[in-house]
Amino acid sequence: MITTREKLLSYAVLGPFAIVLAFPFYWMLWTSFKSDIDLYNVNDVPFGFGKGSPTTRNYGFLFHHTEYLTWVRNTVLVGVVVVVITLALALPAGYALARLAGRWGQSLGVGIFLTYLVPPTLLFLPMSWVIAHIGLQDRLLSLILVFPSFTVPFATWLLMGFFKTIPAELEDAALVDGASRLQTLLRVVFPISVPGILTAVIFSFSLVLNDFVYALAFITTSKEKTISTGVFTELIRGDVFFWQGLMAATLIPTIPLALLYNLFLNRFIAGFTGGAFR
Amino acid sequence: MSDDRPRVDITRVDDELTRRDLLRRAATGAIVLVYGGFGVRKAVAGAPQFRGKELKGTLRILQWSHFVPAYDQWFDNVYTKRWGQANDTDVIVDHVNQADLPGRVAAEAAAGKGHDLVALLAPAPQYEDRVIDHKEIVQEVQRKRGKMIDVCYRSAYNPKTKKWHGFPDFYAPDPINYRTDLWAQVGSKPTTWDRVLKAAPKLRAMGHPIGIGMSNEIDSNMALMALMMCFGSFIQNGKARVTLNTKATRDALKFARDLFQKGMSNEIFAWTAASNNQAFLAGRLSLALNAISIPRSAESTNPDLAKNIGLLPIPKGPHGRLGLEHVMHTYMIWKFASNKKTAVKFMAELELKYRGAFEASKFYNFASFPKSVQNVPVRLARDPHTPKGKYKILNTISDKYTKNVGYPGFTNAAIGELFDKFLIPQMFAEVAQGKRSPDDAARDYQRRVNAIFSKWRKLGKI
Repeated sequence: MITTREKLLSYAVLGPFAIVLAFPFYWMLWTSFKSDIDLYNVNDVPFGFGKGSPTTRNYGFLFHHTEYLTWVRNTVLVGVVVVVITLALALPAGYALARLAGRWGQSLGVGIFLTYLVPPTLLFLPMSWVIAHIGLQDRLLSLILVFPSFTVPFATWLLMGFFKTIPAELEDAALVDGASRLQTLLRVVFPISVPGILTAVIFSFSLVLNDFVYALAFITTSKEKTISTGVFTELIRGDVFFWQGLMAATLIPTIPLALLYNLFLNRFIAGFTGGAFR
Repeated sequence: MSDDRPRVDITRVDDELTRRDLLRRAATGAIVLVYGGFGVRKAVAGAPQFRGKELKGTLRILQWSHFVPAYDQWFDNVYTKRWGQANDTDVIVDHVNQADLPGRVAAEAAAGKGHDLVALLAPAPQYEDRVIDHKEIVQEVQRKRGKMIDVCYRSAYNPKTKKWHGFPDFYAPDPINYRTDLWAQVGSKPTTWDRVLKAAPKLRAMGHPIGIGMSNEIDSNMALMALMMCFGSFIQNGKARVTLNTKATRDALKFARDLFQKGMSNEIFAWTAASNNQAFLAGRLSLALNAISIPRSAESTNPDLAKNIGLLPIPKGPHGRLGLEHVMHTYMIWKFASNKKTAVKFMAELELKYRGAFEASKFYNFASFPKSVQNVPVRLARDPHTPKGKYKILNTISDKYTKNVGYPGFTNAAIGELFDKFLIPQMFAEVAQGKRSPDDAARDYQRRVNAIFSKWRKLGKI
């Protein structure tokens, strides 16, 4: 049983971390309600509001004078499709590497993960050539095609670690009972791999949300942009940054993502640490 | 026989969630995210790309997001639409943030496909072999509007290959922005670099340092190259020979080191293209070298501050008063562009009637052919913001003190490379931080710049 002293100690340790981690979100929220004249008023930093603040004008500008909702929609669309593709490829690949490839599995797994480490800043020029020559410039399909090049290796590596934690005896039992390998996968392995799959989903979606270089290199049409490039185009004009709008635009997508993390927090931790205790 | 042994569930966690729950939540979440508020048909199908397309031709343009939003409104929705109707062409304008433009342009060059017209904020002679000769545009405008201003000519023409590697439609003069109230308090005016150095310690003591960046960004490049010229230090001579290791360069480096130590703060080593504006608008800086985006932003966001912003030409140094353009907005037409003829026509006609662009940009865009905008001084004097007439000085700066990057030579590919690699700000930063002496830095950077020039000389571009 946890004593009051232990509770206080854990809060004392966690408190500063929580403040540091939450502060950027607070800053974004606070700035998004500042008026133009109040933005650079250093007397009100970091808690107060001055002349003209708080105001919802920045949100109004974002929703009514930019293509923000289109960018959100595009981002979600690309994210969902990429996650589906990623799972379709990474689930069998991760399982195969964990179970069927024997001692080669580990090396192959590391090899696949290494491809994830090649930075997009090196790849975007040759990729641009590929995308242009298959006629996908300025189309969301270009992102849907290229993003799995980094989400699949990562998800495969993650799932491989997780599948290794599942006792092989469970599958052996199913096979002995007459199930085929595919049936074993669908009815035994995947259902108990939900934490690992969720982790792969969340990470893949986050990677898509974070991409900037490919989105910049492949798409310039405003209606086809994702959040990451759209807000940079519309809210940074020359050497003038529209900070309040930028903060609002970046805060909004973090909220559902944070809720998603929270909803599956325990499973997410189980999935991410699954391979660590083998 | 029943099995009463406790089962081990490795997926068990504190809060139970059934598969059914998971699927239900996931499906609900997906529906909300994908469809919520955005319309089912559009969300799934994507926006139609050619809705309402009735015009025969197409012209695609890529350029920065202008700091004056009204300029983009005018260009995208008024000028190009009218021009498109008159020329049976659908003009599509795409915008990218200025810092990301070079990356996007590099991607198009690598892909060999992209926009018909791309514009950068500085000439890009490194793409000379990938773009058409823009001579036709220059000649067409010159026939009707007379000569192009020298600073633009030297920025976009290669005398070695006799090729126009770009077409600058406008440039932005680069005044100093200073706080009239603060400088009055110290009883001075920043008309010479010597005065700036003398006033700097007092201004910093008042909490308002000088803000001249020494970082890997465009404003630092422009400000420091201009400072060098005021001391008689030039990167190259008129024959494209490197002339960096001189007493004048060492003097400029010493001066900048002194100015940093007496009147600036460490922030200048992390300067970005937005730092001049942000620090000035926050009321922190007493002086910055920047185009007029500072007073223009202040006029719309903080009129009280705007009243105390003065504009002057670059301070005079031992060699005189020599400044640079702040922006040389240069269009390029790729050799692989699909609509080269239309692009040439569009450029020439934009330049011939540049008054609309000059006014929509709030006097930021100075036409590369001065006669394309009549009565510039009168238009500048008409600006209603206080202090009245403050923008008149831009005409003097443009006429007398605006030179090209690489002056007295041309803005060639070697200058473009050292500009992109930010070698000049790095040289200044190393001296200001005390990492090396001015003598050592001038000698070392002469060697490094020489290597760049040698490379381009071998390629026959300089």
